[in-house]
Amino acid sequence: MAEKKSGSHFFDLKIPLGSLLSFYGLLLLLYGLFGPRHIYEKSLGLNVNLIWGVVILLTGGLFLGFAYFRRRNSN
Amino acid sequence: MDPIISLNLIDYLILAAYVVITIVVGYALKKYMKTSEDFFLSGRSLPSWITSLAFLSANLGALEVIGMVANSAKYGILTVHFYWIGAIPAMVFLGIFMMPFYYNTRVRSVPEYLKLRYNEATRGLNAFSFAIMTLLMSGISMYAMALIFRMMLGWSLTASILLSAGVVLIYVFFGGLSSSIYNEVIQFFLIWLGLLPVVYVGLKAVGGFSGLAAKLPDTFLHAWKNMGSAAANPMGVNWMGVVLGLGFVLSFGYWTTDFLVVQRTLASENINAARRTPIMAAFPKMLVPLIVVVPGLIAVAILPEYSVALQGSATPDYNSALILLLAHYLPNGVLGLAITGLLASFMSGMAGNVTAFNTVWTYDIYGTYIKKNMPDEHYLMMGKLATIFGVLFSIGTAYIVQSFPNLMDYMQLIFSFFNAPLFATFLLGMFWKKATPWGGFFGLLSGIVAAAGHYLLYKLNVIHYSSEMAANFFQAWWAWLTDFVVTIVVSFFTRKKAESELKGLVYSLTPRTKGSEMFWRRPEVWGSVALIVMVILNIIFW
Repeated sequence: MAEKKSGSHFFDLKIPLGSLLSFYGLLLLLYGLFGPRHIYEKSLGLNVNLIWGVVILLTGGLFLGFAYFRRRNSN
Repeated sequence: MDPIISLNLIDYLILAAYVVITIVVGYALKKYMKTSEDFFLSGRSLPSWITSLAFLSANLGALEVIGMVANSAKYGILTVHFYWIGAIPAMVFLGIFMMPFYYNTRVRSVPEYLKLRYNEATRGLNAFSFAIMTLLMSGISMYAMALIFRMMLGWSLTASILLSAGVVLIYVFFGGLSSSIYNEVIQFFLIWLGLLPVVYVGLKAVGGFSGLAAKLPDTFLHAWKNMGSAAANPMGVNWMGVVLGLGFVLSFGYWTTDFLVVQRTLASENINAARRTPIMAAFPKMLVPLIVVVPGLIAVAILPEYSVALQGSATPDYNSALILLLAHYLPNGVLGLAITGLLASFMSGMAGNVTAFNTVWTYDIYGTYIKKNMPDEHYLMMGKLATIFGVLFSIGTAYIVQSFPNLMDYMQLIFSFFNAPLFATFLLGMFWKKATPWGGFFGLLSGIVAAAGHYLLYKLNVIHYSSEMAANFFQAWWAWLTDFVVTIVVSFFTRKKAESELKGLVYSLTPRTKGSEMFWRRPEVWGSVALIVMVILNIIFW
């Protein structure tokens, strides 16, 4: 049986996934920086939006980075 | 009743971005759908990181997440059995031993394997029951989910149903299984990123893992220590029920023969990727308790309505444990992300049902009984039509269940009759070449009857169990055993298939291809690692 070459599938899922996560990260980060403060009483004073925004932004960036390097290497 | 959670603009932005991206992904896949295999099996072209995450997510639907948090608030750490012994051995077995039969025979569905190995009747029994059950199940979960969204956010039932069904319809219609799988991968990240904040803040509030343990009774903290007798643990099941019923029959039956999960492995780009799919999924699977079991425990430690239940004085609504916890700890922003994670996992669960249905319908029912030997485009079009029909049928079921809520329990019951014995039919089919076509059929049929009979005897109080769950586990075991024994007995008296017809379908008649891969890429190596990690986890939480 001929094995298909890896990467011959549709389009790279890392691009929409990375974009969505980066958007979420940025949104939460900005909301954490400029949004209201009193909502963090719930989370024991922790600005979860800011912290988690950074984490998600990095995750999204990682996916976009991988997708970028892969595309560059295949060209 | 006021909704538990109130969302604001930022939360709705997060929700809307998810809906937009799923539709864009579905639409972008449209131009790749040229043949029926593109639509139903993603053209067998996906890399294993994608199929693994989809394999895992197909079983991480919103109702499973909410239900498992509820189990954890009710039974404590015992809930890990659904993720470790109740999943990992079966996933590893599928990858190492069963995948070659599914993938190398180029079957397009689980019923199609039954046709090749046994006969048309066995395929028909499985295909019809699977197709009907899948749609009914998808309608039931849609209704259950709409109830949760009403309680949580105050949305009307119709709004939730139309939103989720509409989005799923659009993206499955355009992209078929690929849409479904891509969305499952997106869901995997959203559910983790959505729930980790509540786990973190909750743990901080109770003083970390040691603080959490100090607030809980001993029976909540051990996976096996109190399993000696059913009376000694909150689940009311002994170790034998867990090992035989859950670990062996239910788990193997689900993970190795349910087309909903097996379909994801068939979408892999080659046999090695297909074999790696369930095995690689085993690793994140073992971590899932962190986002479902831990929140349940935190709910018991923190929320008064669950802590008083420990004294046995009240029975709170365990299904709202996760939602109450989200409302308690998460500010808007990450709150919207958690809700989006739940909505995403609900929608992708529904999409999974719809894609499994349209495949079985088109190949095993329509293409077998209604219109044979049509050109491929005809079946591709039928798949798209079946998607529309499947979604409409689910919506209809949701509304019927709304008027007759008791139906829900009955339907779930009937499904359990069909599911339990199937693994015996596959096990004998793949590893015993003397199993005959009619042996397979009557074995499966009597397994289903045995499950129904056992249920009847249990309800008539002829047989007793210490809990509903114990009854479930043992029902699965007896159904499996009946199927196993009847298949063997009938096989001695009925005609066998010629060995030439069984080539590639049975273990002893399939030439073993030596894996050419380096040992660190071999499924056997990773499967063993997964099993060792599972054993270690069980010892840690003994």
